[in-house]
Amino acid sequence: MNSGDNYGTSTNWWDQTQQPQPPHSVNSTGGNVLAPASMSNTVASSTNSNAQDWAQYYQSLEAYHSQSKHLHQQNQQNQQVYGYTSNSYSNYPPSEDYSTYSQWYYQDYPQQKQQQQQQASVIYSNATPDTSTQTNVSAAVYSSQQPSSSSFSSYPQRNPSAPQFYNNSALINKQEQASSNSAHHLSQNGPDTSVHHLSKDNIAFVNSRRSTSATRGVTKGVSNMSLYSGNAAYTDAPWRQPATEQAPLYTSVKIAKQKKNKNGEAGGAKATSKGVEVPTTQQHPLDGINTDVSSPEWPNSLKMFVERSFAACSIHARSKLETQLKQIISSASNNKKLHTIDWDDRPLPKACDLIPKNNVFSLPAKRSSGSAGLGGSSFDDFDSEERKERRLRRFQQEAEAAKKAASDNALASIPVVPNKEDVFNWDADTIVGTCTKLEKSYLRLTSAPDPSQVRPLPILHKTLDLLKKRWIEDNNYTYICDQFKSLRQDLTVQRITNSFTVEVYELHARIALETNDLGEYNQCQTQLKQLYSMGLPGHVMEFLAYRILYFLYTQNKADINTAFAAMKPEEKQNAAVEHALNVRAAIATGNYHAFFKLYVNAPNMGGYLMDNFIDRERCIALQKLCKAYRPKLGVTFIAQELGFDSIKVCLEFLTNLNITLLESSEQAHYVDMKAAYPHAVAAMKKYEKVDIKGQIY
Amino acid sequence: MAGSTRLVKALYKFKMLKTTKNPEELAQIVPIASVYTVKVLDDIWKEDGNWDVLLEEKKRSLWDEMAILHFRASAAYRQSQFITAYRHQLDMYNAFLREFQNMSRWAVYALFAISKDLYDLARRADTQQSMVDSQANKVEEATRAINQGFSACMTDREPLLSKSRKWGTYHMANILFGLYLQFKAYNLCNSMIRAIKASELPSLDRFPMSDQVTFRFHRGTLAFRSEKYSIAKEDLLFALEHCHRDAYKNKTRILMHLTPIMMMEGKMPHSRLLRRYPRVRSIYGPLVKAVKSGDLQTFDKQLRAVEQQLVSLGLYMATEYVRKLVIRQLLYKVFLIEGRASRVPFSKFQAGFAVAGFPQMEIAEVECILADMIFSGYVKGYLAHDHGLAVLSKQMPFPRISTLHNNPSP
Repeated sequence: MNSGDNYGTSTNWWDQTQQPQPPHSVNSTGGNVLAPASMSNTVASSTNSNAQDWAQYYQSLEAYHSQSKHLHQQNQQNQQVYGYTSNSYSNYPPSEDYSTYSQWYYQDYPQQKQQQQQQASVIYSNATPDTSTQTNVSAAVYSSQQPSSSSFSSYPQRNPSAPQFYNNSALINKQEQASSNSAHHLSQNGPDTSVHHLSKDNIAFVNSRRSTSATRGVTKGVSNMSLYSGNAAYTDAPWRQPATEQAPLYTSVKIAKQKKNKNGEAGGAKATSKGVEVPTTQQHPLDGINTDVSSPEWPNSLKMFVERSFAACSIHARSKLETQLKQIISSASNNKKLHTIDWDDRPLPKACDLIPKNNVFSLPAKRSSGSAGLGGSSFDDFDSEERKERRLRRFQQEAEAAKKAASDNALASIPVVPNKEDVFNWDADTIVGTCTKLEKSYLRLTSAPDPSQVRPLPILHKTLDLLKKRWIEDNNYTYICDQFKSLRQDLTVQRITNSFTVEVYELHARIALETNDLGEYNQCQTQLKQLYSMGLPGHVMEFLAYRILYFLYTQNKADINTAFAAMKPEEKQNAAVEHALNVRAAIATGNYHAFFKLYVNAPNMGGYLMDNFIDRERCIALQKLCKAYRPKLGVTFIAQELGFDSIKVCLEFLTNLNITLLESSEQAHYVDMKAAYPHAVAAMKKYEKVDIKGQIY
Repeated sequence: MAGSTRLVKALYKFKMLKTTKNPEELAQIVPIASVYTVKVLDDIWKEDGNWDVLLEEKKRSLWDEMAILHFRASAAYRQSQFITAYRHQLDMYNAFLREFQNMSRWAVYALFAISKDLYDLARRADTQQSMVDSQANKVEEATRAINQGFSACMTDREPLLSKSRKWGTYHMANILFGLYLQFKAYNLCNSMIRAIKASELPSLDRFPMSDQVTFRFHRGTLAFRSEKYSIAKEDLLFALEHCHRDAYKNKTRILMHLTPIMMMEGKMPHSRLLRRYPRVRSIYGPLVKAVKSGDLQTFDKQLRAVEQQLVSLGLYMATEYVRKLVIRQLLYKVFLIEGRASRVPFSKFQAGFAVAGFPQMEIAEVECILADMIFSGYVKGYLAHDHGLAVLSKQMPFPRISTLHNNPSP
């Protein structure tokens, strides 16, 4: 299948759903303003196999998130029950790929690992503003896939008291213990402070005294935390589990329907699928609209509205109506519009129109054109009462399922349809890939990209998840870097610029920092700067601080000046940026004492960057020491001033510079400063030119 | 219609100027609002009642085409349609550049004129455009075009130096500096300087003084940004000395950069200089005073007060280095209070810093500052860590800073 076609048609489908009212439903309902959502959706989705492609894809993802093979199989069975659905799927090979993938996936990654990751993400998210942005970011990726909220401005603000963050105190405690353990041997300031840092710090990287000897341990810690920083799926996992298990059997068509449904209700149902409100409604499904009616907060007009709705509704559609009403009211109360909406004039929920709507199906022309998957033999008795009954039941089920699915969707957060919002400068030349493989090795393109070799955004989401796991598992940077480069390439050739892009670049930058691949880091940094300047959300401050440190490493004084001039006062207030600026000031004023103090207290992953020029600064400082101190200086003092964590490492450093120690007792080593000075000067030679790897100008 | 006779005449004039290679007159008539152009347009208007004749498409030579485009741009300019005017001017510029490849030194003056017009129109067009939408990027486009004009000058292969277009290089470079600095594209400035350095141009001092001064000012400020202060000092001093004596604003700009460099070298601006340049005084005056008295607290306070101004001019880092002098002065004060003793305990210096507003400074940091001072030669002597004191040199423990010959930048 050509990718352009694929995307194009699904976009058409998208546009269709946004029309409030397909023509045939107008005919049937006799000019009723609200289109019967369920019907028109069914038509839309069954006429368009591409829509089903996406929906099908969504379904497999859903299975992937529900972590239950059992459920997945049930879904498949369900497809067979609805003959036309499975028929239309039969010519779609990727669906099989997905199902096998998700099965394989959970065999490979057992529950244990899952828990570890949850821990990591929980500690990560127990912190404050930055974390919440992070979750928001990931929420934004997904909510932007919803037709109702396609811009970032409208993505849900996660409630800071969301249950998953604080209910799990056991997990947090565990993690704190773990981190204090790891901090214990790292930190000479004491484990207590580092734990305190962890909970207080915006980004809960291990914030303890860093040292070369302990770098390995820190590395693992940082990688765990940094990798899971943006992973909402795992943050959600503990409390999402029951909800998923509850999820009814549903087919992919229902998702399409739900989308339409929400769209048709112009903002009415917007908020329901967002944020943390959903679980509560799910845990008490349909806990009585009638009791709610008596709620004192409700205006009279609303009560009337509910009564009218029930009156206009058939018995069959009652459950559906309840669902819809609940949706409408909860969204209104969430938006604090209970008293501002004119309930008297508001159109009744769609479920009220259910009976007249059935006539849609009695229009043979529409059906014949629309249902390729429907058997021709059953077509004759299409209008028979029995079949009508069955359809009605089916649609009711579907409506509920779709609602649940959609609310899961907001959290499970995998996009269904490629969105123009994701693409910067959308035009006809923008390609969309059709490749469904998760892994792809990087090859620098020498010609126009081939869509069959490019992975579309939903696949890339899965790829990223896979890569995160792979990195934790194998720690194989060659593989990861290669994969990330191809991932970035796919994003670039499809011009995808959204918060997912930011996430990818941030992750790769962090991994590159961790493995000291400054070339790749700088490429990511350059891109990130551009992405941030487009207003995409991310860890702007964190990476601004890295940028300053990188400039310090490359001794690019002019760019520091530029960056400094462009900085706003509030940016300078940020802890990480302030640290980086202090490092700059310490270097500029030759205050090595302050510099090495800052080195051991570097926030985030700044320490990894500083590692790159720490030896250079040590040599400069050593030069000063040699020039200033006479006749000799204790190694203890040198080690302390130059930020070594042990005298042993310091001795090693000195011997590497061919500096000999004075004959003395075993306890106290002394250096003859006058003799050492030429060596210190000679050591500076190799730092005269900075090796700038992969620097792009 | 065969077209306005007035226009035909004007085109003929352009053609004649090309064949006679008349630099002054061409440079005089190509500006967008030159007296000649205005007159031609007036005459055509009188003749026809409109300027439609300018829009008639006819097969012409490239030079004619250029001339027509010039009149079109000028006509649009007079109607304040800057976007249209800019489009025509850009086309005209490109047409001129193609002709320019086959011309020699005489045409560079016309190139200067139309480059300036192009930039000016681009700016006005952007202003006009930004009222409609945000797609205002014509200045960048114009910059690219002007950059082509620059390279057309620089890469001329005319063997006869007196006829070479290379004589236009520095003037074009100066126009480009102005544009690049507007975008804060410092790396483009630097690459331009590198390109000029790599090309075989006549030495800079053979160019007109105005070109020299402007170019060296820009080169100096760029070196300043990269904290290469000795290079910057040379260029800026030259610019200051050779700047036109009435160019008061330019001198102020030069002095803003030059003052911190000179201060780093221990040369404080004279009170007469500060009196003459109030802007310089408003920023550096209190700092100079603080340096002289070793008043670290006042210095830091004033530095914070003017930080925003200094940062926006890219002067902050340089001024920060001057702080070292203040510290030197402070240490000197301690030395004096200690009765010029050659052995001063670290704790005395620590007390000095405490008085200067750093009550929490550790001994280790005091030592670090002293070590840095000794390393950079501001203090002569050595530190005895085990005894906890600084042993200062018998003669000149605090040498005059202006006698230090090391690079002011650390």
